[in-house]
Amino acid sequence: MQIIKRRKTRELFLLWLLLTPSLAIFTLYRIIPLFWNGILSFQFWSPYKPAEFAKLYHYQEMFFYDDAFWRVFWNTVLFMASAPVGIALALGIAVLVNTQVRGRNVYRTIVFMSYPVMTVAVGIIWQWLYNEKVGLINYILISLGVIGRGIPFLQSFELALPSVIVASIWQVIGFYMIILLAGLQTIPSELYESAAIDGASQWMQFRRITLPLLRPSVFLCFVIGIINSFTNFDLIFVMTQGGPAHATDLLITYIYSTAFKLSKFDYAAALTVVNFLFFLALALLANKASGGEAGAVEIGK
Amino acid sequence: MKTGRKLVWVLGVMFLAGLVLGVAPAEAQKKLAVLTWNIPYFEDGFKKWVTDFNKKHPDITIERLDKKGTEWSTFYQTQVVAGTAPDVIDVQGGLWLEYASKGGLLDVTDYLKRDQDYTKRIYPEFLQSWVYEGRNYGAPLYISKTLLFYNKLMFKEAGLTDLPKNFDQILEYARKMTKGEKSGFMTLNFDWLYWPLFAMNGVELLTPDLKKPAFNTPKAVAVVEALAKATQEGVINKISWTGRWVEPNGAFASGNVGMLHAHAPAFLWFKSQAPWVNEETVGAAHLPGGWSTPNSHAMLISKSTKYPDAAWDFVKISTGGEGAYALGVGTNNLTGDKQVNDQLFEYFKKNIPASVPAMKTQLEYLDKLTGNWPAAKDAEIKDAFYPELQSALLGQKSAKAALSDAERNVNRVLQVR
Repeated sequence: MQIIKRRKTRELFLLWLLLTPSLAIFTLYRIIPLFWNGILSFQFWSPYKPAEFAKLYHYQEMFFYDDAFWRVFWNTVLFMASAPVGIALALGIAVLVNTQVRGRNVYRTIVFMSYPVMTVAVGIIWQWLYNEKVGLINYILISLGVIGRGIPFLQSFELALPSVIVASIWQVIGFYMIILLAGLQTIPSELYESAAIDGASQWMQFRRITLPLLRPSVFLCFVIGIINSFTNFDLIFVMTQGGPAHATDLLITYIYSTAFKLSKFDYAAALTVVNFLFFLALALLANKASGGEAGAVEIGK
Repeated sequence: MKTGRKLVWVLGVMFLAGLVLGVAPAEAQKKLAVLTWNIPYFEDGFKKWVTDFNKKHPDITIERLDKKGTEWSTFYQTQVVAGTAPDVIDVQGGLWLEYASKGGLLDVTDYLKRDQDYTKRIYPEFLQSWVYEGRNYGAPLYISKTLLFYNKLMFKEAGLTDLPKNFDQILEYARKMTKGEKSGFMTLNFDWLYWPLFAMNGVELLTPDLKKPAFNTPKAVAVVEALAKATQEGVINKISWTGRWVEPNGAFASGNVGMLHAHAPAFLWFKSQAPWVNEETVGAAHLPGGWSTPNSHAMLISKSTKYPDAAWDFVKISTGGEGAYALGVGTNNLTGDKQVNDQLFEYFKKNIPASVPAMKTQLEYLDKLTGNWPAAKDAEIKDAFYPELQSALLGQKSAKAALSDAERNVNRVLQVR
């Protein structure tokens, strides 16, 4: 009993020893700035003036007077909610390229090719595709007689955000596909064979075998999708700069423009706190959905 | 024990020697950091500035920093926070007002009064662009303001023989040139560059004391309605209200836009993109009434500089005389120095004749500058106003509702701390 206890203590010590450098960096570059940011959100502060205590001023401003904040918050939620669409599409592609279809490696490469492309390049490519006058999408739609005049995708209040979301999904879909494909290939083929013998249809096999066993991969994709919606700064910045009139602004782009274009660092700090709390709540929910033990380390096994 | 004590002494002496030899000279070295705005190619001219500066201040080293427009303010403000703000800064538009109003910039009014030989060479109208609450904070580096570029081929095709004389005619002419992929009019929109369209209709943004919004008037509603209608019809290209610089200028370069309201530097950019652009195909003129919005650059000094006198000398060298000429030739711009501009016109006539008509407009109607209000919260006012205007122009809101919402927003910006 005592030997086991001693071994556990030693393992724990080793664990902390190995974690210390990373934790030190994490504390220095994440925890301390986060803490300072929290303090800043309760102050009036600019690079030129000493700080003054502001109580809840910035939070009141945000929740009761800043119309743009609510629009931006809603945009972030919509962006996040689009993740399942991308995952569903990627799953469909992954299932297709997992079959014995001819040239499947070529298809896999083509689908994956969008992912390593720099986000700035993705933004520029899609900006041109969406162009009202000379864009390929409008050209095809006009040629097919679907529309009579070019659609200003990125200048439209209704279409700008969905258009950016499509570009974002296009970029990340290849990555989702690889994760899901890897998951699919870990499912034993015997399960499908037994199900087929028992008379299960293809759809039944997909629902009862593929989907449940792919849960960890789907969950991983979902987490990546959520993170993407909180960090997709460059795509928005290149394609629309948050416009028209905040129609495509996400919390992350709004925080940036508030701090560096308007020099309202204190208000931007309050926005960051809300962004952080929102993200934290989602992470806790996601953790709970995955069984509540995501990332847990077991010692002494 | 004795050996140990000796060792401590030796180490101590070595440490002190290291301090004297290593740190002291670094501390003695004087340095001025100069931050420029997206002119990394301006190397020879910058070296000339440094050479001329070092003739007067051989003991001061110049460190050059250059940032793109999109990175400039982020970089500068982080440097301010870190306590290492560049000493001399090249600023565009209204960014500086925030810094000046919070005490981050050096007041150069007394230097300008003292150095009359220099000050007399500079256009007073452009010097005035850098005045906040009666104090001057900068000297013009290169000057630019908006003008009307027009596609002569599209004018001819539409049977237009003269230029529009008022706001209604701008839209009327634009309508005549609009068909298919072609639109009649386009404007740049950043930094209040579109405001001449309002100024020519007598619409002001703020009251003269800059304390209240003044734009929510029946005339302003009519102007916005007319612009929105033209935008919905494709007469005004929508990129006017959503693009920044590359997109609208690129659209004009494609040859599908009849008139482009932009600042002078746009000319050489779209010319470089479009082989069809020459004196025969593109004209340059004033907007009706001569209205324009300046978009000049100036050299300013951070308040935190350790060497204000030397920094001012650098500002004078870069904005006047030979230094200004080097800048004009190196960046193809006019400067704030009257005498230098005479020389520069000779240079442009010889080397880039197509740019001369656009350049000439830059020094005319200097009494009709608009959109350069010295409001401390310039950026915040812009952010409160423009999204609402955009909503109306792109058909999301009525002009009346958008201007009322904008008025509420701007009022809040002006009233809260």
